[in-house]
Amino acid sequence: MLESRVNVNLTPEEIAEAKRRLGREPNEIELGMIDVMWSEHCSYKSSKKVLEILPKSGRRVVVGPGYDSGVVDIGDGDVIAFKVESHNHPSAIDPYNGSATGVGGIIRDILCMNCRPIALLDSLRFGNPQSAHARWLFNNVVKGIADYGNRTGIPTVAGEVEFDESFEVNCLVNVACVGLGRINELTLARMDNPGDIVVLMGGDTGRDGIHGVTFASKTIREDSELERPAVQVGNPFIKKLVIEATLEAMRTGKVTAVKDLGGGGLTCALSEMSSKGGTGVDVELTNIHVREEGMTPYELLLSESQERMIFTILPESQDEVLRVFRKWEVPYSIIGKVTDTGRIVAKYRGRIVVDIPSKLLTEPPMAKRRARKISIITKKRASKPPIPMDFAKVMHHILSSPNIADMHPVYRQYDHEVGLRTILKPGDADAAVLRIIGKNKAIAVKIDCNSLHCYLDPYAGHAAAVAEAARNVTATGAKPIAVTDCCNFGNPEKPEVYWQFKEAIRGITYMLKGLGLPCVGGNVSFYNEDEESGRAVKPTTTIVMLGLIERLSLVTSMALKEVGESIILLGKTYPELGGSEYYRLIGFDGGKVPKAVASRERASIKTLAEAIRRGYVTAAHDCSKGGLAVSLAEMAIKGGLGLKVDLAYVLHTPSMRIDEILFSESSARFIVTTSEVNTAKILSLARRRGVPASKIGEVSASSYTVAMNGKILFECSVESLRESWQDAIPRLIGG
Amino acid sequence: MIIENKKLARDPEGETIAKELIERRGISTIKSVRSGKYLRFLVEAGKEEEALRLVEKIANELRIFNPVVHICNIRIMGESR
Repeated sequence: MLESRVNVNLTPEEIAEAKRRLGREPNEIELGMIDVMWSEHCSYKSSKKVLEILPKSGRRVVVGPGYDSGVVDIGDGDVIAFKVESHNHPSAIDPYNGSATGVGGIIRDILCMNCRPIALLDSLRFGNPQSAHARWLFNNVVKGIADYGNRTGIPTVAGEVEFDESFEVNCLVNVACVGLGRINELTLARMDNPGDIVVLMGGDTGRDGIHGVTFASKTIREDSELERPAVQVGNPFIKKLVIEATLEAMRTGKVTAVKDLGGGGLTCALSEMSSKGGTGVDVELTNIHVREEGMTPYELLLSESQERMIFTILPESQDEVLRVFRKWEVPYSIIGKVTDTGRIVAKYRGRIVVDIPSKLLTEPPMAKRRARKISIITKKRASKPPIPMDFAKVMHHILSSPNIADMHPVYRQYDHEVGLRTILKPGDADAAVLRIIGKNKAIAVKIDCNSLHCYLDPYAGHAAAVAEAARNVTATGAKPIAVTDCCNFGNPEKPEVYWQFKEAIRGITYMLKGLGLPCVGGNVSFYNEDEESGRAVKPTTTIVMLGLIERLSLVTSMALKEVGESIILLGKTYPELGGSEYYRLIGFDGGKVPKAVASRERASIKTLAEAIRRGYVTAAHDCSKGGLAVSLAEMAIKGGLGLKVDLAYVLHTPSMRIDEILFSESSARFIVTTSEVNTAKILSLARRRGVPASKIGEVSASSYTVAMNGKILFECSVESLRESWQDAIPRLIGG
Repeated sequence: MIIENKKLARDPEGETIAKELIERRGISTIKSVRSGKYLRFLVEAGKEEEALRLVEKIANELRIFNPVVHICNIRIMGESR
């Protein structure tokens, strides 16, 4: 039996455990199902225990982790469902289809909660843009997202892109979707009622993508390019029909549950739905509508063909639902019934080919992983780099760094306004803002991480990622309300990688608790590592932050608005340049990574939120990547106005150098503009909350001027800064 | 150079043309449509094989197609004068 044709990745211990629980040898098909469900991708066998420490509950949490997406209450009966997922491995070998199907998959996760997908976000990481391979991945990933998102009529509203050598072979593609629904209409993907009819709807089932998840649980080898079955091609035209048909079918009131078919295909959907409901399911595989003749039961149960959904429907009521499917011309097949046996029984031409307890599949043995601390990442240096002679030149350089430069070549390919909800578009503010149509409120969403900080200090870097995402939505006028995350790491069987993962989750937990935020779901992607060189990606947990804007009048962008307004810096600046863009630019390896302290973050966030609520703030921007100098430049460029600041007014620790004040990436800081009369009011709000704050300068007409004690240090035209910032990506990518 | 999706991969464009354009008109004799990309190269080369090799080389090196999803066929069309 174990010498079977089926190629499994299970360990001998896992096979023995499966046999013990089943009470007999699994047959080839069952073994394939166990293999998929016990893979890292489906089972979270390395991560589950670590993730338990995350705070998951809160006043607004309607659905927490464990379902297809987290759901939070935004009042008036409205709910927001949101989820993020990685599609790293498929994108690394087929960037166009890999990223497109990533978008397709995340849309389905929102849909099966009975929420309408209203926005997409993506977080992308590639190797150095000098490399032809990195550019090929970049161009095709972006095109895949654009083509799929645009064709399904869902706007792509926000994102981030980072470039770093560690992503040369293993690019990271994290895609998030946000959905809007009604609290009393939510559905959970669980089979609760024996007797319900099981219907498979959507794209036909083919041989594509069989074993996609076990592929995602392996490191990439040279011959991955030949693994043909791992390739899936998404069809956004069908997806649009699936979206509309699903939402309309739900309105009949006859649908009891819906789940999307993603990784693990039918096996994963049937076992998770029945296991959650404590039920079982009987299916006849020959009923499935297929694309190819002669598909075996094994292939039917494990195919990961795209654009498919499983519905359970009240008995005797299927006609009403099937009529909706016919109206939208989406294919479907009635494949079986929910039972009370607790088992998945699959027949093929009437003969039982699979008979296995659902829980055997969904409750795999946890993997034991060891963690070993990586002791020295950066050399401790007593010396510091020389102070640059020409700061204007440094400004132009740093603004044209691919991690800072304008990403319009990416987001102009995305339709970011379809659906008419987008108030603040990509590039307008720190986060995207979407209106809730018909209500005087909006949501803000942001996806964020700084991989270099996370690499240098996984705990501090990830705590800071949460804090930054929270500051990002705050700067748009929102109150941060919940988070979902996407972990991207190397091989967890390596103790150093596992240590990074544990530190990351500890850091995230610390900041979430400090800010009183729940984590309502997430995704873990391991094995992002090049087998040949053994090099893992920089540890990267992207944070998706959701914020609620209680009145549309609170919406705030980052562009400077009017000459003469005051520029205020909230928060203190520390000499924290480890992993900064400035040090990366000058090639200096050393320094301390910014420390994120929850109490400071909370105070800064509360101060800004209150200032916005009182109507004092005309523009707000989080001050982080690239430091004060870059954040100011971004506000000037967006507003088409200049500014003059004096570094003597920046509150910082004693004896900091000019370059440190300008480029330190200290956390808990905001740059805010306000009228002259409201300046003192904001400063007094800050004082009351113990936030160091000062007026550092004023908005001017067209020149970016930095002084120290009244003496001008350097000056450049905002127009020239804009050119450096805008032209960099087209020049690097050749787009 | 003709580039199309592998036989087992889906082809949304071809499928949409087959279903929405042809099948909807009641034409049943067309069983399937596959879409692809067509590129014509004018190559400076002494022999046909040499031209084929050259185009094949750049197709691979410059990633004009992706062997993971695509089949790539290169043919000689003729000579230019």
